[in-house]
Amino acid sequence: MNVPAASLRRLHQSCRALAWGAWGILLAALAGMPAQAGAAADPNKVLHVAFEAPDDGFDPARTVNLYSGWVNEAIFERLLTYDYLARPAKLTPMTTEAMPEVADGGKTFTFHIKKGIYFTPDPAFKGQRRELTAQDYVYTIKRLMDPVIRAPSANMVSGKIVGLDALAERAKQTGKFDYDAPVAGLETPDRYTLRIRLNHPDYNFLYATAYHSLGAVAREVIEAYGQQSGAHPVGTGPYMLREYVPRSKIVLVANPDYRGYVWDFKSSGNAWDEQLVRDMQGKQMPQVGRVEISIIEEEQSRWLAFQGGQLDYDKLPQSAAPVVMDGAKLKPEFTRQGVSLYRVTEPEITYTLFNLRDPVVGGYTPEKIALRRAMAMSYNTKEEIALIRKNQAVKAEMLVPAGVVGHDPDYRSSIPYDPDLANRLLDYYGYKRGADGYRNFPDGKALRVDMRREQDSVARQYGELWKRGLDKIGIRLHLTFSNFADNYKASIQCELSSYGGAWFADYPEAENFLQLLYGPNARQGNQSCYQSATYDALYRQFVATPPGPERNRLVIEMNRQFEADTPWTLSSTRYRNWLLRPWVKGFKKHPILLADWPYLDVEKH
Amino acid sequence: MAAYILRRLWQMLPTLLGVVVLVFLLFNWVGGDPAYILAGKMSNPAQIANIRKQLGIDESYWVQLWIFVKQIVTMDFGASWSTGETISHVLSTRLGPSLTVLVPLTILETLISIGLALGVAYVRGSLTDRMVMIACTVGMSISILVYIIVFQYVLAYKFGWFPVQGWGDSFSENLFHYALLPILIGLTVSIAPSLRLFRTFFLDEISQDYVRTARAKGLSEPRILWVHVLRNAAIPVVTYVMSNLPALLIGAFLIERFFSIPGIGREIILAVERSDFPVIKAITVYVAAATMLFNLLADLLYKAIDPRVQLK
Repeated sequence: MNVPAASLRRLHQSCRALAWGAWGILLAALAGMPAQAGAAADPNKVLHVAFEAPDDGFDPARTVNLYSGWVNEAIFERLLTYDYLARPAKLTPMTTEAMPEVADGGKTFTFHIKKGIYFTPDPAFKGQRRELTAQDYVYTIKRLMDPVIRAPSANMVSGKIVGLDALAERAKQTGKFDYDAPVAGLETPDRYTLRIRLNHPDYNFLYATAYHSLGAVAREVIEAYGQQSGAHPVGTGPYMLREYVPRSKIVLVANPDYRGYVWDFKSSGNAWDEQLVRDMQGKQMPQVGRVEISIIEEEQSRWLAFQGGQLDYDKLPQSAAPVVMDGAKLKPEFTRQGVSLYRVTEPEITYTLFNLRDPVVGGYTPEKIALRRAMAMSYNTKEEIALIRKNQAVKAEMLVPAGVVGHDPDYRSSIPYDPDLANRLLDYYGYKRGADGYRNFPDGKALRVDMRREQDSVARQYGELWKRGLDKIGIRLHLTFSNFADNYKASIQCELSSYGGAWFADYPEAENFLQLLYGPNARQGNQSCYQSATYDALYRQFVATPPGPERNRLVIEMNRQFEADTPWTLSSTRYRNWLLRPWVKGFKKHPILLADWPYLDVEKH
Repeated sequence: MAAYILRRLWQMLPTLLGVVVLVFLLFNWVGGDPAYILAGKMSNPAQIANIRKQLGIDESYWVQLWIFVKQIVTMDFGASWSTGETISHVLSTRLGPSLTVLVPLTILETLISIGLALGVAYVRGSLTDRMVMIACTVGMSISILVYIIVFQYVLAYKFGWFPVQGWGDSFSENLFHYALLPILIGLTVSIAPSLRLFRTFFLDEISQDYVRTARAKGLSEPRILWVHVLRNAAIPVVTYVMSNLPALLIGAFLIERFFSIPGIGREIILAVERSDFPVIKAITVYVAAATMLFNLLADLLYKAIDPRVQLK
């Protein structure tokens, strides 16, 4: 068939126009789509890390296991998160457009969720793309109160949100939690807006929205997998679960649908931050395509795995500190290998508590306070740090540790290590020594303090240290070593005389620590069963005070009241030494955020 | 034979019932309260009560015991209290890694111990015999923990002959790569006591008249040892080996922990630490049942080894 040349030329031009048109439409479509940052993550960039204990599965509501939370943070996104570099920790938006609007003097929070955030595909979605909406957060929050879930982090929302506790109470009576029932304090005016109304002003509630248990889950997924939801985590975050061998291995891969972000955190001016900014600024994140997590429980195995190149970074086991560290620095043989050290104190305190309801160490009369004060003064924290902590800890001066809002670096405890003064104090209050050298109560009855500890070697060393101290002031100590479950139950029920404890921050605010001594929290978190009208009044005032100098002043006052009554003896805050191979870039351990991987890069090596 | 087996199976029931009652009593009176562990850091009495209700531990002891019995009959122990993982999944996924280490270990241990024991029994009283016995005594005096720490450091880390720790995806990778050092450590620890025990069995037989007669008839020493002595000493050897087999089901906790092997031994310890009763119950019942079955199997093997044995 003959076709005229002019017709051919017109056809060619038409085709070209059509092609350009198609490209234009395609480009326009692409411009409207969210960035596919997960796809940009390099699958050849693999991070090898270790957990020192196994997880409990990956359903954010069902567990507060530290290692489950670590993985959950990478999979499930919260409304808010933390700025990676800012210290003290600072909240920033995660799935929200901006920080929430706060109204009613800290009682109402309105969040605007970004559009175009999608859950990773799952059969539960029946082939449809599933967008994250405000209702997902409502469902997530409600789950924490479902009695069947028995969520261990229910305290994050329990008693706080208008109408939520009433719904949970109804569920206890009917045996079924009505997820469709409206809750006055959880409103969704539109698909992307979530309004939370609280029963009382709570300036710390926003921290709860950044907690890993409040990572958004999709109702379809939870209902599809039921009891097995912990093995099928489906979120919107930068990573998704690729392989899971319980007690052995967790493999995460970058989520190809994740919207991504550009690494743009501000240095706080120190050399470590400056280097991080130089290494990471402007990079599209996440960079790491695959994270392989091994569960290695034994310290020797983990340490040898790091030294043998199986791990890219890891915590230095405390027992290996004398071999690796020279004071606060790495020994030259490790720096020669290119290993670097990131050293930071944990947002935690360790302590020994006294049960204020105990007939021996409890009570609020001057002679009972003197007894506890004398015991506290006999405890040698310096020795604890040197012998038990291998110099990898600092003395805890106040209830609020460094890195947590409310901590005052200049604060010094009024309770020194001074056995002589302790002896004089006990003499003054009539605790006379008997023929055996040990003291009796002022009324002549025998004085014996019972202390409970766990059965591990560190706990036994603590027990011995206490015994040495108390022997110096003539107080007879009876140590009992038992398992954690029994000790914890007895302490919660105010049945232990004294017991060793530790608290790691759930959120970086003083209230998380100060609540541990609030009277109404007795038989809950207040294991000392301490009830001081002064402390409680200060606490209530503190909670109702917005962040600022006045709130910080109240923290100091509560600390002084705590020292005056001495329900605890504060011990130490541990250092955490992170060892990094030279190819790991962007590492700075956050005090609260667990999952570092979305912020890191791995160079070819 | 069938009647004997049926009778023995029937006799297992009261024993199993005793185990069930014992486990139940121990858990309820000695074990920790799981509700406090599961409740998290800031629990209140209402939460604790709710957890106890959800787990069914607020029921009377009789009801709880009846539920336990029903679980055994239906072989459905429910789900782990701490992870929600079904018990059947826990057992099926954790048993494989343990058996990958322990089955080769048991086979090698038995064969090597028999070979060495026959050898030293044959040269009884010689310098070799005495040196081997001293080595066994020294070997038995050292804790397995020392072997693990030293072997892992020297053979795996320093020499690089084995991986320091880990577990792979395929059976062959696990058996020929990751399990080798754990098996070697297991052999180092277990051969000494087996060897000493087997040696006494063989010495008893070597001094028998039939061995002298066999020698007088001109049979070779290897034939006397490997055929006649071994067969006659097989019954106590089988008894010993079979009595150790149930241990395969409870894994080797320390080896699994140090080498990060996701086996049943680690699972048991975790379950005890967390008062995870469904896991503890299931494993205890299965191990008790396995012990009785292996005992029955041992009795049947006696008959196969020595036709003179009467099964009554």
